[in-house]
Amino acid sequence: MSWELVSGLETHVELSTKTKIFCGCTTKFGGEPNTNCCPICIGLPGTLPKLNRQVVHYAIMAGLATHCTINNISKMDRKNYVYPDLPKAYQISQYDKPLCEHGYIQLSNGRKIGITRIHIEEDAGKLVHEHGDTYVDYNRGGVPLIEIVSEPDIRSIAEAREYVEKLQMIMKHIGVSDCKMQEGSLRCDVNISVRPQGSEEFGTRTEIKNMNSFTNMEKAMAYEYDRQIDLLESGGKVTQETLRWNPDEGITTPMRGKEDAHDYRYFREPDLVTIYTTDQEIEAIRQELPELPDARIARYQEEFGLPAADAQLLVKYRKIAEYFEAASEGLSNKKTVANFILGQIFRTLVTDEEKENGAVAIPPEYLHDLAKLLEDGKIKMNLAKTTLDKMLETKKPCTDFISEQDMGDIDEDTLRSICQSVVEQNPKAVADFKGGKDKAVKALIGQVMKQTRGKADGRKAEALMVEMMNAMD
Amino acid sequence: MVSREEIENIALLSKLFVAEEELDGLTKEMDQMIAFADTINQATDAGEEFDNINGLQNAFREDEVVPSYPQSEILKNRDGGVDGFFYVAKHK
Amino acid sequence: MLDYLSQIRSLQSMLQGKEISCTQLTRAYLDAMDRDNPKLNAYVTATPDAALAAAKRVDEKLANGEALSPLEGIPMTLKDNISTKDIPTTCCSKILEGYVPIYDATVWKLLKEQNAVLLGKTNMDEFAMGSSCETSCFGGAANPHNLDHVAGGSSGGVASAVGGNLAAYGLGSDTGGSIRQPASFCGLVGLKPTYGAVSRFGLVAYASSLDQIGPITTNVEDTALVYDQICQYDPMDSTSKGAQGDTASHLKDPVQGKKIGIAKEYLEGLKPEVEAAIQQAMKTYEAMGCELVEISLPALKYALPVYYILACAEASSNLGRYDGIRYGYQADSYRNTHDMICKTRSAGFGKEVQRRILLGTYVLSSGYYDAYYKKAQNLRGSIVRTFREAFAHCDAILAPTVPTTSFPKGFTSQDPIVTYQTDICTVPVNICGLPAVSIPCGFDEKNLPIGMQLIGNRFAEANILNLAWQFEQATQGQFNKKVEGGLAL
Repeated sequence: MSWELVSGLETHVELSTKTKIFCGCTTKFGGEPNTNCCPICIGLPGTLPKLNRQVVHYAIMAGLATHCTINNISKMDRKNYVYPDLPKAYQISQYDKPLCEHGYIQLSNGRKIGITRIHIEEDAGKLVHEHGDTYVDYNRGGVPLIEIVSEPDIRSIAEAREYVEKLQMIMKHIGVSDCKMQEGSLRCDVNISVRPQGSEEFGTRTEIKNMNSFTNMEKAMAYEYDRQIDLLESGGKVTQETLRWNPDEGITTPMRGKEDAHDYRYFREPDLVTIYTTDQEIEAIRQELPELPDARIARYQEEFGLPAADAQLLVKYRKIAEYFEAASEGLSNKKTVANFILGQIFRTLVTDEEKENGAVAIPPEYLHDLAKLLEDGKIKMNLAKTTLDKMLETKKPCTDFISEQDMGDIDEDTLRSICQSVVEQNPKAVADFKGGKDKAVKALIGQVMKQTRGKADGRKAEALMVEMMNAMD
Repeated sequence: MVSREEIENIALLSKLFVAEEELDGLTKEMDQMIAFADTINQATDAGEEFDNINGLQNAFREDEVVPSYPQSEILKNRDGGVDGFFYVAKHK
Repeated sequence: MLDYLSQIRSLQSMLQGKEISCTQLTRAYLDAMDRDNPKLNAYVTATPDAALAAAKRVDEKLANGEALSPLEGIPMTLKDNISTKDIPTTCCSKILEGYVPIYDATVWKLLKEQNAVLLGKTNMDEFAMGSSCETSCFGGAANPHNLDHVAGGSSGGVASAVGGNLAAYGLGSDTGGSIRQPASFCGLVGLKPTYGAVSRFGLVAYASSLDQIGPITTNVEDTALVYDQICQYDPMDSTSKGAQGDTASHLKDPVQGKKIGIAKEYLEGLKPEVEAAIQQAMKTYEAMGCELVEISLPALKYALPVYYILACAEASSNLGRYDGIRYGYQADSYRNTHDMICKTRSAGFGKEVQRRILLGTYVLSSGYYDAYYKKAQNLRGSIVRTFREAFAHCDAILAPTVPTTSFPKGFTSQDPIVTYQTDICTVPVNICGLPAVSIPCGFDEKNLPIGMQLIGNRFAEANILNLAWQFEQATQGQFNKKVEGGLAL
């Protein structure tokens, strides 16, 4: 029998607000333990939360960017459980009236993964275990999160990965989160079950908590998929439980013991009031949203004639897309600019983070000026390429490397005499050519280019030299 | 009638220990209290949704940083903590 | 001094007239505390240094001829669940042993800014859960009218201190009657303000949707003076609305023609002397030209169980944080984190608190939520509606504060339900977030005070204090009887 994987994801995304969700402490990552804290976020008796307006704003942006309906009336609830990293012994979250519901994310295979809901909540502190002792740091406690809950629409590990990548791209694009998995600002809980191919019913699911890298997520899902199938094929049953992925041993293990019996006893948070958002406010936020990645990719393909893969690569990093648009503004050959970015420029942006930050050595105007010279036929591609390398190295504009003489065509006579001298000075290449090595001519073209500072038309030079060599004995 | 097991579970959720010898007495006591609470289910009035007393909405703060407290203040009630951390517990 | 005249104003005029310095006044109170507190057990923490420092600042102002703010230089007290920076705040629970807040509650911040002289923190039922002050880990506070009787609860210490002349006024908190009931037991005036009128920031939570801070004083005018200073909007409390703060200027407004609602639901099962005192008060109001209007509050029948369900549910959540990690008591021997937390809580919380946490956990737990918590929340809506409808027919409602008078110490029944029944008259006001003031209106056969409450519509504090003040005038303060002991001025 063949088995189908069924999965739904709960993705926690830390929002890029300046302050925590219920107090004015900074959300800055890192720092000495318990230094970004105040009586409110360490839950001292008598303190009260006050909701950060920007958290609601960002969550609505996230909802609109994923095709959700925004609920006009929403409220906060308490999720009660005692754990040392949760200083109030309840997490302020949203239970039955989340801000956003019923959205979706479309994958490249055309399938839509439903989004059940997006709600806002607070993050917990961080436990540190050392030599049998446990310590806690509350710097992260109270950092705002959105939890994005998907429908169990995911059918493969690849889909799960693409879904998360897509979410990541959207959230970064609209600027609500930096979604850094390694810093924990994006974490996933994976619900997974299997069923016989073709079956309509869902199997019993397990939940793997806190996946903090794609590799771990993929490995854990693969392991759990196999484990469940083995269990079912040997006549066993899957137990509904919460699991932890152990990356060292490559296995999942049950997370909770009897001591951690849980029943969250949700109830309305009496310390906070109703969140009411009018249709006009929702519309205003929609207007404010930047163009979403899917729309941008489509536009690059349709309007600029970029291949799908190139469009996707450019849009993957919002700042790169913006750089591309600025550099190619007013030019007709957008594709050339895209190629400069994806080729030479990307070679200088080694890490994801550098691309993320759009840390290009030269401003987009410099690239625009170079591309313009090319488009106007004033310089040739070869000169453009070598110039761009120099620009990236020195951070200087193209005019520093291209003189007036370099621009415009070389007249026929000059080109002919340069070709002539190159052919005469390279008897070996000529011999090779005549011996049947057509490629030998390429080296000669290179020399012509060098002497003409790239201004020569390569094809014309080739034709001339072939003609000259053929005419030689 | 509430059972001993239910009381044990409620105590576990509440993170309270109940000694075996106290369990019967507590179960009886809780049973009385629950019976008292249960009188509301005699009400024929279906009631109406309750939001908050003053019908308040949108009490927000702006996203502006307020300086945090010094670490020494945060840890003041734990004698300054351990290397900047709160100490939780030792595991056997 | 007539017992029903403003103590706050007369003390201030003594200060302004240089009859006494603030330091002398403060020392006199501190001396009285040393002498009488062992009998009353009203204070659990005395703060002489802070008090004298504030007094010194006031004396400097007076020496410079500066005017004083309304409460400036007046010695007072705070219930021990109101957070005070650098001063222990224990809620009279072992679990908060040694806890010293690093911030001030908003009400204390407001009073501190005008040099209120804090004499100390006062006794209370543990986490404000109780009606006698006897669940305090420090033992109960005595009733100044009869030391063998309780001061009431939960703000028993404030009532004991103010009634025993060990503070000019105090701030308590009222979740189900915790200001009004001890005020009634000790022959004092106590105001439970409209929910949202006074900031809760810094008040250690019992039941967040019901808690409210308010004054306990010896007379109505002082209650108005104190309330007017603390009813400010607070951005730190999302449920705060603030209020005008002009009740003192309306005390003398005429009351002729005002309609006073009388609901039979409030008059059932009263101790005979209490019933007689209420009947007498009705007559007094009629004689003052008020109109008595019969009203019906049928939903009141469920108020008590609704209150206990909601209060315990919120409490079970609010009290989850006492885990021994960040502050307060921590068990010293344990096996692991879970064991440490359970041992800390089991040894740190008293029996009544544990009972309420368990009930609260139960009514919120899966399978029971709909039948208890949700149902109670919906009935809360009904009770709110009942009162809204009643206020279409009257300006205020007159009711007893407690069906009885102060009970002897140690009387509290083993059956918790019997004890809960004494809150029957006070809890509806908290359920609906209404303001209510308890004022003295008689004495029982043992000469223990009887109290009555005037319940107003939301934010109608000026109206009920006006009616209360006019009653005090009409009866010439005969029920505001000052007791022996404490500071004699």
